[in-house]
Amino acid sequence: MTLQVVNNATCTFCGCVCDDIQLHHDEIRIHEAKKACVLGTAWFLNHTAEKKYPDAIIDGREASLDEAIEMAATLLHEADMPLVYGMSNTTCEAQKECAALADQLGGLLDSHTSL
Amino acid sequence: MGGKVTCTLGEVKQRADFIVYWGGNPAECHPRHFTKYTIMQKSKFLPRGRKDRTMVLVDIRETKSAKAADIFLQVRPGKDFELITILRALVKGQHVGDAQIAETGLTREVLDDLVQRMKTCKFGCMFFGMGLSMTRGKHMNSAALLTLAAELNAFTKFVAMPMRGHGNVTGADVIMRWQTGYPFGISFNRGYPRYNPGEFSTVDVLVRGDCDAAFIIGADPGATMPQPAIDHLKRIPTIVLDPHVTHTSRLARIHITTAPQGIAAPGTAYRMDEIPLPLKPALKSPYPTDEEVVRRINQAIAQKPFWLPEGSQPQMLNAQV
Ligand code: SF4
Repeated sequence: MTLQVVNNATCTFCGCVCDDIQLHHDEIRIHEAKKACVLGTAWFLNHTAEKKYPDAIIDGREASLDEAIEMAATLLHEADMPLVYGMSNTTCEAQKECAALADQLGGLLDSHTSL
Repeated sequence: MGGKVTCTLGEVKQRADFIVYWGGNPAECHPRHFTKYTIMQKSKFLPRGRKDRTMVLVDIRETKSAKAADIFLQVRPGKDFELITILRALVKGQHVGDAQIAETGLTREVLDDLVQRMKTCKFGCMFFGMGLSMTRGKHMNSAALLTLAAELNAFTKFVAMPMRGHGNVTGADVIMRWQTGYPFGISFNRGYPRYNPGEFSTVDVLVRGDCDAAFIIGADPGATMPQPAIDHLKRIPTIVLDPHVTHTSRLARIHITTAPQGIAAPGTAYRMDEIPLPLKPALKSPYPTDEEVVRRINQAIAQKPFWLPEGSQPQMLNAQV
């Protein structure tokens, strides 16, 4: 089996954000993360492209993505003081959307930094 | 963190001949920090690499990082602020009493030597971790250390930098500063951003039970927060976006699976020195990205009536790209 190689991939597990990792993958999982440290290797090898979880879960039952988005929007819109929190393990692009979400809702916006 | 005396890791790698780690354990938490950016690198200005550099570790216990250090200072727990204040006084040549020094668990000789080294190095850098910023004194400790770094510039080049934890927390700070003017703990409930940690920070909000819905993304408060906060998350409708079904997902009303950043989702992440780096995802995920899901939720909410009366709607963040 030949593995595909991605050069200079970026690890986001810790604040070092090493951008020199060489990833060997077969489109389903990453088999090797060269240059990454133990933490980074574990991070890369633990995530796969398999469908391990349902698209969405609502009140304990499996649901479709569309349904979950619609219900999330309704719940957030109905709330008087919704909280948008986290944003550690996500991209800046998603973080910007979160800032817009909190703004649109008139809610609270906070990250891990405040802990 | 506006106005902080800092630099990029590239400068540290090229020039820093004196490196202090304060309240952090890079050997175990940031394993490649030594080899990639700080003590192990050879450079034009420090051709002998490790031999040209001095490393000091200040911590309350002897961690694995102490093995890498030339000097290890074991400060008494909760006395970081006192120690920084003493160093600031010694740097300025002011008198410090023996009792004050004894309180920190260190000796005058050690501190005099440290101050001497700080003043005479060519380029000093202090990295401070959670051991400083999350213990007694919290942000006052960080502020004191940044002031010490600023004051040392009367003698030599000196900077300080926080050792940020995992993931893209630095990115969250930067994005919030860019979009709202504040780094965290923000409320939009008057239609414009207001900043007040303690009032608007998540743990306090949850423990007091102030919010009536929660949207959690890229975090697992269900595993890390104090129990009263978790209890409140159970009471209110909670929505979680995560690549895995987490502790928080189990107590949430809605969980949406998303693609993991950097592995299957493209985008940008910030390094601890606030350098943005592009992500290079290797895999294609069957799930959508966080960005896509939050954007769709935003669009769905935009269809509904605005929460303020008609005509009083302020300019929204996404309208000013
Ligand atoms: S490879 Fe290791 S040091 Fe580098 S970002 Fe990943 S976890 Fe951090």
